Amino acid sequence: MAISLKPVDVAVIGLGAAGGIAVLPLAQAGLKIAGIEAGGWMDARTFRPDEIHNNVRGLVTSVPKTKSEVPTVRDSPSAVARRVGNHPMMNAIGGTSIHYWAQSWRLKPWDFRTRSETVKRYGAGAIPAGSTLEDWPLTYDELERYYDQVEYEIGVSGKAGNIQGRIDPAGNIFEGPRQREYPMPPLRATEFTDRMAQAAHELGWHPFRPPAAINTQPYQGRPGCAYHGFCGTGGCHIGAKNSTAITTIPAALKTKNLTIFDRAQVTRIAAGDDGRVTGVNYLREGKEYFQPARVVLLASYTYENSRLLLLSKSKAWPNGLSNNHGQVGKHYFAHWGTQGGGAVVALFPFDINVFYGLPAQGTAVDDFGDDSFDHTGLGFIGGTTLHVHTELHPIEAAAMNTFGRAPGWGARWKAFVRQNAARWTAAYLQTSTFPYETTFLDLDPQVRDPLADPVCRVTTSPRENERRSVEYAQNKMEQWFRAAGAIEVIKAPPTGPALSTHAYGGTRMGDNPETNVADRWGFSHEAPNLGILGASVMGTSGARNPTLTVQALAWRTAEHLVKSWKTIAG
Amino acid sequence: MQPDDQDAPQLSRRTVLASATLVPVAALTAAAQAPSTALSTTERQILDAFVDRLVPADELGPGALACGAANYIDLALADALAGEKATLAEGLAAVDAFARTQHGMPFPQLTPDQKDAVLTEIDEGRATGFTNPRAFFARVRRLTLEGMFSDPYYGGNKNFAGWDLIRYPGPRLAVAPEEQKMSALPKPLHQSAYGSKFNHGH
Repeated sequence: MAISLKPVDVAVIGLGAAGGIAVLPLAQAGLKIAGIEAGGWMDARTFRPDEIHNNVRGLVTSVPKTKSEVPTVRDSPSAVARRVGNHPMMNAIGGTSIHYWAQSWRLKPWDFRTRSETVKRYGAGAIPAGSTLEDWPLTYDELERYYDQVEYEIGVSGKAGNIQGRIDPAGNIFEGPRQREYPMPPLRATEFTDRMAQAAHELGWHPFRPPAAINTQPYQGRPGCAYHGFCGTGGCHIGAKNSTAITTIPAALKTKNLTIFDRAQVTRIAAGDDGRVTGVNYLREGKEYFQPARVVLLASYTYENSRLLLLSKSKAWPNGLSNNHGQVGKHYFAHWGTQGGGAVVALFPFDINVFYGLPAQGTAVDDFGDDSFDHTGLGFIGGTTLHVHTELHPIEAAAMNTFGRAPGWGARWKAFVRQNAARWTAAYLQTSTFPYETTFLDLDPQVRDPLADPVCRVTTSPRENERRSVEYAQNKMEQWFRAAGAIEVIKAPPTGPALSTHAYGGTRMGDNPETNVADRWGFSHEAPNLGILGASVMGTSGARNPTLTVQALAWRTAEHLVKSWKTIAG
Repeated sequence: MQPDDQDAPQLSRRTVLASATLVPVAALTAAAQAPSTALSTTERQILDAFVDRLVPADELGPGALACGAANYIDLALADALAGEKATLAEGLAAVDAFARTQHGMPFPQLTPDQKDAVLTEIDEGRATGFTNPRAFFARVRRLTLEGMFSDPYYGGNKNFAGWDLIRYPGPRLAVAPEEQKMSALPKPLHQSAYGSKFNHGH
């Protein structure tokens, strides 16, 4: 029998990048919040400059819940799904925003209107076959003030390329208009990133230093980045990486309206016979609790958002919560590009010294992103950002490709890595990715977690549009590396991602309840006091990292809840 | 009964905030553990001979053996990689058995050229007696790289010889702009993230 707790106004499931943002506007408005998080507080003293700890053994990310419910993956609806690798996300207060690369891009106006803009420019035949692409129910302009709010609230460094229509070539000239400059200047350049920028200029492209949720100067009592080279998959030892654990969550706690229940694993969202959600069941230290709430905000991760809804069956919801139209788990996709096997690796005939720094420190090019270029005759829509960055750990450096110039071991290999470990790098490519009829999430019929609940099953499939798009970008990337002096470039064939840190959909946001789970505000079309946060509501990916968009949407959903409290809470 | 709102979460939050300052390397100390290894003497001799040929000692510096790569692997198999111990031990036995069929001698007693010939057969998938010779070779190679180039805390990279080989200048808690220049790699900082006293692998 579950222990029933004191009712709250809002139960937030998951205090990561999304839920950790939403709690602040809710708490500031005076709503009483229970923040229920499967992980605990992480101690910055355990964030080590240690590749084995962070990257090889993944000890920052290694927490029991995600590891015990790793989704299965298959590449067609007729195949048997299998577990491949680990869950890429983690549980903690702050979630994966603790160890992510912190690249904090806004989507571009085109990403919100991809279908209509594509039809307008190229005709209806250009929409990828089998895709379930829709325009978003909101535009970039409607989201702009929330992007701005989050950039200033957590602290994002960068250089604006378009302030209210005024173009500044030092920033990204292809971005949508923003109301003001970033709160902090961008991460510093290095001799190598400057060399890459120079090469891009010579090609007639428009390089810039990309935005990051990383301080470049003291901001709100936290220091600027120390560029020490252990940022990716590691927490920041000085608090310069602006995870929600050190920004919005402490600010929400200060209001005394947020109570955090850590190491608490949510098992079901409960609903009454009228279909309204009534609270959240969770396990903590072996005990079952029920947290009653007038509104529930689901903010776990793309895989878990769909899974928890599908597991939350009740009399009112026999097919799973908010799933009367069978849309939960549909319109799933994950970023193609480097995360989808499409690596581009380069060797230079001189030291480039990218050992230190951080993955967000670099030079990016958006000339081939989204619809910034004419796609006529190319056979795909969407595009790719190209990003060349720093941070290379020693094992990774020595495990380099030998580019056919040396064997894989022995004295010749040893001489090769001595000369070249400081002379190579891999680009980071992110390609616009779209949902398809054959890409979806559901419950695995065979594989279960330790509580005997089915894990999430990911069905994905090869897609010509995305493959062509990545290959086009890889050729541009090779051109760029060679213009900067690279003597060898290897392009790996893109295969598409399996489990991803950039996973989208499953609870897509849209005006049509027959094809979308969430409405334009992020609330369920079917269960009116259930809100959904995270990239699971996004219908397109853009060619850039999802987190800032997730956070802007989370703030917007929370603000809508505050403004419409009586209507939503009932 | 309700969980106390003021319990663990609040306490540990203070810890996070208190520690959001520069922590000296020497303070990053894990509890010292007694090193324990997993392999038998024979298995270890085979592994020693194996890693010694993967990265031999020469004028560029010590090889994987002197760097402690086999020690790293042996320690890891008793600890973080305990689940792999049986597979690794089986593979090492197969190396020795294959050496005996090819050259009539235990693997550690072969000449360097003979050892390299055995390793080549394994690497290229022709060696018999293995479940999957290529996968075994790739795994030992990968673990050898980890042993050579990881923090010495884990029992390899002795005297920072691995990092010196590839000119990795060592972990720093803060990096100045000039330390990111292309033309001049910083001077090596021979320091473990855990402080030199905690180099427990030796």
